[in-house]
Parts: sequence; C-alpha cells; structure tokens
Amino acid sequence: MTANTRTAAKAGLLAVAMLALGFASVPLYRIFCQVTGFGGTTQVATESDAYLAAQFARSSGTRPISIRFDASTARDLPWGFQPVKVTETVQIGERDLAFYTARNDGDRPITGVASFNVSPAQAGQYFHKVQCFCFTEQTLQPGEEVRMPVLFFVDPAILKDKNIADIEQITLSYTFHEALEQPESGAGPAQAAAVSATQTS
Amino acid sequence: MTLNNWGKLAGRWLGAIWLGCVALLLTFAAAGQAVAQAPAAAPTVAAPLAPPADPANVEPLAPEARTPANNEAPQEIVGGDGPLVADTAHQRLGPEWIKGAPTAATDNMGKSLTFQDQYSNTGNYALWMHNWVLLPIIVAISLFVLALLLVVIVRFNRRRNTVPSKTTHNTMIEVVWTVVPALILLLIAIPSIRLLAKQYEAPPEDAVTIKATGYQWYWTYSYMDNGEFEVISNMMPEAEAVAAGFPAQLEVDNRMVVPVNTPIRLQTTAADVIHSFAVPSLWFKLDAIPGRLNEKLLTIREPGIYYGQCSELCGSRHAYMPIAIEALPRDQWERWVLAQGGTVGEVEAAAPAAATVPAATANAASSPEAAAAAAAPAAAGTATAQ
Amino acid sequence: MATTADAFQAHHEDHGHSHADERPSFFARWFMSTNHKDIGTLYLIFAVFAGLIGGAISGIMRAELAAPGIQYLGWWVNFMGGEASINANLHMWNVLITAHGLIMVFFMVMPAMIGGFGNWFVPLMIGAPDMAFPRMNNVSFWLTFVGFLSLLMSLFMPGDPSGALGAGTGWTVYAPLSTDIGSPGPAVDFAIFSLHLAGAGSILGATNFITTIFNMRAPGMTLHKMPLFVWSVLVTAFLLLLALPVLAAAITMLLTDRNFGTSFFEPAGGGDPVLYQHLFWFFGHPEVYIMILPGFGMVSQIVATFSRKPVFGYLGMAYAMVAIGVVGFVVWAHHMYTVGLDVNTKMYFTAATMIIAVPTGVKIFSWIATMWGGSLEFKSPMVWALGFIFLFTVGGVTGVVLANGGIDDALHDTYYVVAHFHYVLSMGAVFAIFAGWYYWYGKMFGRLHSEFLAHLHFWIFFIGVNITFFPMHFLGMNGMPRRIPDYPAAFAFWNNWASVGYMLIAASLIPFVANIIYAHTVGRRAPANYWGEGATTLEWTLSSPPPYHQFETLPVIEDHHDYHNHLPTAPGSGEPARA
Repeated sequence: MTANTRTAAKAGLLAVAMLALGFASVPLYRIFCQVTGFGGTTQVATESDAYLAAQFARSSGTRPISIRFDASTARDLPWGFQPVKVTETVQIGERDLAFYTARNDGDRPITGVASFNVSPAQAGQYFHKVQCFCFTEQTLQPGEEVRMPVLFFVDPAILKDKNIADIEQITLSYTFHEALEQPESGAGPAQAAAVSATQTS
Repeated sequence: MTLNNWGKLAGRWLGAIWLGCVALLLTFAAAGQAVAQAPAAAPTVAAPLAPPADPANVEPLAPEARTPANNEAPQEIVGGDGPLVADTAHQRLGPEWIKGAPTAATDNMGKSLTFQDQYSNTGNYALWMHNWVLLPIIVAISLFVLALLLVVIVRFNRRRNTVPSKTTHNTMIEVVWTVVPALILLLIAIPSIRLLAKQYEAPPEDAVTIKATGYQWYWTYSYMDNGEFEVISNMMPEAEAVAAGFPAQLEVDNRMVVPVNTPIRLQTTAADVIHSFAVPSLWFKLDAIPGRLNEKLLTIREPGIYYGQCSELCGSRHAYMPIAIEALPRDQWERWVLAQGGTVGEVEAAAPAAATVPAATANAASSPEAAAAAAAPAAAGTATAQ
Repeated sequence: MATTADAFQAHHEDHGHSHADERPSFFARWFMSTNHKDIGTLYLIFAVFAGLIGGAISGIMRAELAAPGIQYLGWWVNFMGGEASINANLHMWNVLITAHGLIMVFFMVMPAMIGGFGNWFVPLMIGAPDMAFPRMNNVSFWLTFVGFLSLLMSLFMPGDPSGALGAGTGWTVYAPLSTDIGSPGPAVDFAIFSLHLAGAGSILGATNFITTIFNMRAPGMTLHKMPLFVWSVLVTAFLLLLALPVLAAAITMLLTDRNFGTSFFEPAGGGDPVLYQHLFWFFGHPEVYIMILPGFGMVSQIVATFSRKPVFGYLGMAYAMVAIGVVGFVVWAHHMYTVGLDVNTKMYFTAATMIIAVPTGVKIFSWIATMWGGSLEFKSPMVWALGFIFLFTVGGVTGVVLANGGIDDALHDTYYVVAHFHYVLSMGAVFAIFAGWYYWYGKMFGRLHSEFLAHLHFWIFFIGVNITFFPMHFLGMNGMPRRIPDYPAAFAFWNNWASVGYMLIAASLIPFVANIIYAHTVGRRAPANYWGEGATTLEWTLSSPPPYHQFETLPVIEDHHDYHNHLPTAPGSGEPARA
C-alpha cells in the first residue's frame, strides 16, 4: 500500500464514518430528545417513578400548574379529535389522567398514528407520561369514536429549573396522521377501548 | 401612528452609505426611470380609493362603523363595561387602522429603508437593539474597513511607495485585532441574550390561547379558550382588497381578531407542509410544523391591523397566504368572540369537547381551493365574519 | 509567503522536447483526461456555462420581480414544455429559485473554486507533477457533470401535486414539502440524485486534494510554507469530507421516504421534519465556508502579489481558516432559529455563531496589513480582490446581525437574508473567482487578457451587484419574505431597483466574454511570470501555460528562516516527495 492509498483510505474512512453518522443521527436524535426533552419531547416514566415523584411532591410541597391539551389532525385525515377538557390544573408531582376523544368521520376504516410534543419546549424534560396512546396505531371504523387516556405527571424538578420555574401552563399536543399502512377495507373492528397500556414510541 | 422617527434614525446611521448609493443610483437614474414608472401606476398601500384618514385624528372607532344595536359612546372602545352582547354586526376595522404594513418608498423613503414600526413589547426592545447597538456597530466596522482600504490605496500605491516594506508580523496588532472584535461581540451578546430571555417569557395561565394552523395555502385560527371556534383565513382577492383600500396580497377575508394589551399564547402547527407565521410589525415569527406544536407569547400594544406573510416556502401559492391580525379592545373582542359562536369567561374550561367548531367550519370544505383566485369562498368567509 | 522558488529556477528543465509536452488525442485528452490542468480547465468551462445558466435563471426571476403581479412565468412554463396555469406559473417560480440555488452552489462556485482553480494550482503550488489520483480526478469531474444533467432533467419532470414540471422545494429540499405531500412527482428524485452525484464527485475530489497536499509536496515544502491558497483548499477538502456525507445520508433518507415507504422525516411514521433541517444545515453551514474559503486563499495570494509583500501574519491567516472550518460545524441551527428551539439552544447558537466573526476579522485585517506599507499595483485581479474585501465585510457584518437569535425573529426568511448571503457569495465568492480568473488567465491559457476589459468588467459588475443586492436589505427589514414571485405593492420600488441592477450584472458579462475572445485573438503570449516580482509561488516559475507534465524533476524549496534574504540551497537536497 503506497502512502497515497493509505492517506486516501483514511480520508475515505472519515467520509464513510460521517455517512454512518448521518444515518445514525436518526436514532441518536431520538434518544437525545428522549433523554433531554429537546424540542419538547416528553419523558417516559414507570409507575414507580410516578409514585416517587408524588411522594416527593407531598413531602416538600409543590404548587399547582395548568395543563393544556391540544389536538390536531393532519390535512387528509377525516377524524374529529379533541381533548375532553381543554385545560386542567394539577399539582406538580401528582399523577393525572386526561382523556381525548377521536371519531372517524370518514366512510372507511382508517388507521391513525399520533405524534406529540409539549410546549414550551423546555418543559419536555419535566413532563412524564406513564401511559398514553402516543404512537400506537388506532384503527377506527367509520363513525366509531374512542376515548384515549393519558396518564402523566409533571416532575417536581421543574421548580428548580430557572428557565421555566415560573411557568404557569404546559401544553401537551397530539397530532393524528393517517398511518402509512392502512387496514384492508372490511378489517375487523378495532379495540373499542383503545387504551394502550404500553408506550411504544 | 408614530412619527417618522425610524426613518430619521435610519437616515442618521445609514447617512454615509446612503450618500454613496444615491450617487450610484443617480448615475443610472435614466435607465431606472423608465422601468420605475410601471409599478407606480399600480395602486399602492397608502393610496386607498377612499380618502385616506389622518391616523392622528381617527376616532378610536369611526362612528359610521357602529350599528344602532350597539350604540355606545365612542370612548367606550378603550374599556367599556357594558353588557356582553354578541357583536353580530361586527364591523371590520377599516384601512385607517392599518398599523403593521410595509411602507412604499414612494410614500416615505425613510420608512421604506428600515423595519416597520413595532407594536409589541419584545418588538420595541429588538428594534432598539438593532438601531442602537447592531446598526451603529456594523456601519462603523464597514466604514472602518473602507477607510483603511482607501488609505492603503492612496498611500501605498506603486507611485507613492516604490519600495515595499517587509513587515510580516506584529504580535501587538494581531492580538488587538483578535481581542477587540471579541469584546465588541461580547458587547452585542449582552442585549442579545436579554432579548432572547424576553422573547421566551412564558405566557401566564390566563393568556388568550389561539392556535394558528397552516394549510396549503391558508391559515386557520382556533380560539381554544373561547369555545374552540375556528376562523378560516384566506387571502382577499386583490381587486376586492384594493377597492376597499387595503393592501393587496396582505388583506384577508377573515382576520385573526385578538384583544389588545392582553397576553396571547400563540400556538402554531401545520396540517400538511411547514409554514411560518410571521408578522414583521410585532417582531414575531414562528414556524408551523406538521406534527408538532410551537408556542410563543405575544402582546400587542395598540388596536389596529397588523399584516404578515407566510415565511417558509410551502408550495406554489406560498406568496398568497397572508396573515392579518386585528387587535381590538378587550370588550369589543369579547363581543366578536360571542358573534363567532364562542364563549367568554370561565365557562370555557367546561366546554364540551364534542362541540363541533361552529360558524366558519362550514366553509372549510371549499377553502383548500379558495386561496388564490376564487372569489366565491372568500365572499362566503366574509359573510361569516360579519 | 514563506515559499519561494528562486533556487528552483537555477535548474529549470528544458521541457520543450521531452515527453512533458506529449499530448493525447483530442477525445482522450478531454474525455478521459487524467491531467490535473486539463481537468481544471474542464471544471472552469463547466462552471462558466453553469454560471451562465444560473445567471439567466436569475434574469427571469428579476424580470418577474421588477413589478408586482405575475408577468413572465406563464411564458416560461410554456417555453419549458408545460402548460401555463395559475398553479403551474407559481410552481415555476419555486422551480427557478431551486434551480438557481443548486446550480450556483453545486455547479458554479464549487466547480470553479475547488475543481477549477484547486485542480490547476494546488499541484503547481506545492511542486507536484499532478494530483495523487489522476483517474479519480477525472471521475470526480464527470460525476459533477452528470449530476448537472440530472438537475437539468428534473426541470422537465412532473413535480408538484398538480403535475407542474420541476422540483420546487428550494435548494434546502425541506421535508415534507419535498416528500409525497408536497412534491409527489419524480422531479425531486432527480434533483436529489443530482446532489448525490455532485456530492460523490466532491467527496472523491476532497480525498484527492487531501492526499495530494499531505503526500506530494516538493522537498522542503512544509505545511507551514504552503501558499495560503493550498491551505484554503486543504481546509475546504476536510469540510467537504466531513459535511457532504451527512447531506448524502439526509437526502438518501428523503429518497427512501419518498419511494420506499420509510418515515425518517414523516411525522405519520414517527419521523421528525425538524431532524431533516438539522441534518441539512449540519452540512449546509460548512457548505457556505466550502464556497468562500478557497476565495480567501486566492485573495491572499493576489493581495500579496500586487502589494509586493509577503502575506502579513501567515500563520494567523492559515489557522484562522482552520478555526472558521472547525467552528463552522457547531453553528448550524442558526439557520433554524424559528423552528421552535428552546431558549438555551438559541442562546448557544447565537454565541457560537458570533464567534466566527473573530477569525474572519483576523483575515480581513491581515489582508489590509499585507497591503499596508506595500507597493500596490492596481491590476485587474487586485481590483477584484479589493472589491472582495470590502463587500465581504459588508456581507459579514449583516451576518453578525442575523446571528442574534432574537433579531432573527424579524429577519429570518426575509430579503435581508437574501441580501446577506448574496453579499458573501455573489460578491464574496464570485469576486474571488473573477480575481483568480484574471490572476491566472494567462498562466492557464497562455494568452494575456485585456486589462481595460477586465477593469470595465469589474466596475460594471461592482455597481450592478450593489444596486441589485443593497436594496434587498431594505426590503427584508421592511418585511418582504423570500421565495415569493409576487409581492405587496409597497415593495415595488426597491425590487425595481434590484432588477435594474441585474441588467448591469448581465451587461458586465459582455466585457467578460469579450476579454476571452480578445485574449485568444490579439492577446499577447503570456511570459512565465507576467505579474513581476510580487508573484512568488511556484506556478510562476513555469512557462505559461505550464508544460503538459510539470516538475518531472521535483523543485526544492529552500529552507530559510529569514523570509527576505534568500539563501540558495543546493538543488536535489532534501527528501524526494513520496508519490
């Protein structure tokens, strides 16, 4: 191997590494967002996390905070999608259960998937969801309506973040899109309960 | 409307550069004149067909804009406590209320050179920072470099300086021109960080929440705390806008009506591709991205009309999805809300989610095609607003 | 400059009758070329033609923007084989801005600076016989060429949902406007493929430059003695190597999103359109330095030559470029201030972006210090370089304004941004290209251009670009968004002036082309060093044009610490360059 091929091979390796980094950025970005709450990405919590947060909140005392529930649908999805209550006030650290409803106004069964974030974006790392319908695909028959629960709590650590310690309201936003894979027409009815126990995002 | 002070300001700082440009422009004035005639023939913003009202003398609400059913004293616009009745005959603010709009150079050269007058809290600070921190610094740097170049050209040309020096190093001066720019940047960073902090102030809990959703190629405004009604906003056909004295391509059929001097939690999202909600006179720009919700605090200081345009390339009619904000005194805004079928006050928290969006929703079906050419949906939309 | 070739001249070879001048047949020479000078020439010719096409596109754009309303787009749609309609006409506008951006970035500035001048003068300046991988060099050029054809083909493919022709996504190709929902037709696939090809060509080229510069320097040519142009190409090559693969990854994912059902950037499948922007600008910001760094290098050579002085603060100049390249990788999100970043992120990117002004300032002041005390001669390359320094400064300071995340809320995606990047590119990069063109024209083609025509070209162009782009600052501050074919009447006046300026820019091409004709008809034959004692780099020791194969005996660069009292060293001493 001549000196030139060695140098070129190193340069080529560098380029390939950057190419790999480009593709790897998709999972890396997702992990980065999930860990840091970047871009208003919500956190995933277990029941025991929620229990601990509640214990902490009760022992040290926290203030209430208002949560707004926002619902959007992509342009071509004929669904009616709303929060049951637009705003709710919860104690920081305490778990709360909120509901959305989704109704298929179209004339065919449609599978929808939701994307989500919270705003302001800085609140993402403190917004923990214990259960939700996040990316779980929902198939709704024409005219079918389901209630979708979200179980969440706000981490008391938010009170120590000087950027948003005085924040009065956090908005949790879901947008339903038509899933890339759609059910064959005449598919079996969807689970009416539509409660997804696990978070797959 | 404030005086011509921004123009004077800009004139002061841009003076030197401006003189040079004028000299260049004059050189080519002959060529320019011929072409410049064409746009001058078209009606401009500040030449509405109706006789233009002097902004300083305009009554808070023009009497003729009031309906007998809503017969109150004129001064009540700035804070009446009359009974809340739906303002079913809500009269859109007329062209004399336009505050946030670009200025044509043919109307006011000074104002055409710089930012629009600012009507939001952060806007004033940002404008101050630009005019009194950034602009002086960048003009000074540019002129300094130009002056150095001129000195070099005059003093060190081959005729006057036949023997070049051999200096290639001077540690002192190299340190200076590294450290001084760094200090200048530090100087800029202080107001810059403060401005960012102001812009990221969180809206209070009771802020009026409006969700702007971008579609190809129109906006919808959902009043989330007021019964979740939705306003669909298409560009007003140009001829219609010009006939009514409004700037073409900026005026819309249904404006985003907001209360003045009230914190607004403005949330943006999009239903198809990325759009951007931008209003230059409020120093406001926030992308509307499908699948996520952005939000920002906006407080408008004066009643009036503020125009903006979609600011992210979103397809063929990107140029034709303007934004028009109509800021009204709170009580008047509340009457407008009631007229839209919305609710005012604490009731909204319990508003049933199942309630479908009233009023303007009826037009939703026709709106995707409506944006540019069609007059029919626009007319339908206007009917809804009134 | 630490480099001189005095010693080398003492043993100048007689190239006249050796195989140094053996040239292959026409087809083999120009289509299967492995000669760095021929490939450089191919790149330059290619860049001139691409530039003419890109410039003609801006002509259509400026004509359309000269007055409010839609005037010419329908005619153009019909001309391109489409069917004029409101939608097709408006889509045509987006196709034009997309094509203008991609052509100027990937097929004009990059091929001219790196492919053209880089290929021609990096081997000459470091005393190498050719590039390290001559055949790969040829592959690079033809990949770029085919990439250009692919982009041109996209103009004739259905693009938007209504089937109007061409890719109308902007050069940024943001998802989801570039995915099925905004651009279902194959035009965007062809545009993406075009970027793949041009990107692959550039990555191969970058590998070639890095290998050449690291391994093939003549004996005694240490890194710290390399001419600054070589330094600039070295830094640029690294930027290309690190940035372009990320673009390749991003647009590949876009391609699979469009055609193979993936959802990297599709919210409907768990993707994030903002991630595309992060990836694009992770490439896109280094890309703007890729376009300007070789210009920095050329201006350094030219300023030193016509001041008859070595460059002031050589090491500072070299490492300022390295610093700009490094910092250029950590500032990308300033292109995305309005996507909904949180406050800490925005503060970080504001601070990091402003830091770039420091090394840039070092360069500007070092150029002035190089001239200070010099004996300036205002030949055409010098005039272009002086224009570069001033106009690049103007473009740079508006960059400081835009760097402020809070200020950017008003200026983002307005004409202020358009003014800013045309000041640094259309006046920075393009002025540097013309400076290099006139500096090396005689060296490359063996005939001297007319200084009068070159100066005339400069003055018309200088006035034209300023009339075109300076008013865009006003339009942007007043609120005019980018990328719109039609605008509210209030913006008419300054748009009109911008269009007047365009006519001057177009007119300046007349002396440019006339000068080429002049050079090859009545132009004098160029001597080896037609710029005199200020021109000290190795290419001036060779004939004009240089022999087909130069440096068959490697030149030896003398090793001296006193830059001004050259102490001749014996030829042949020192190690031979590894090849």
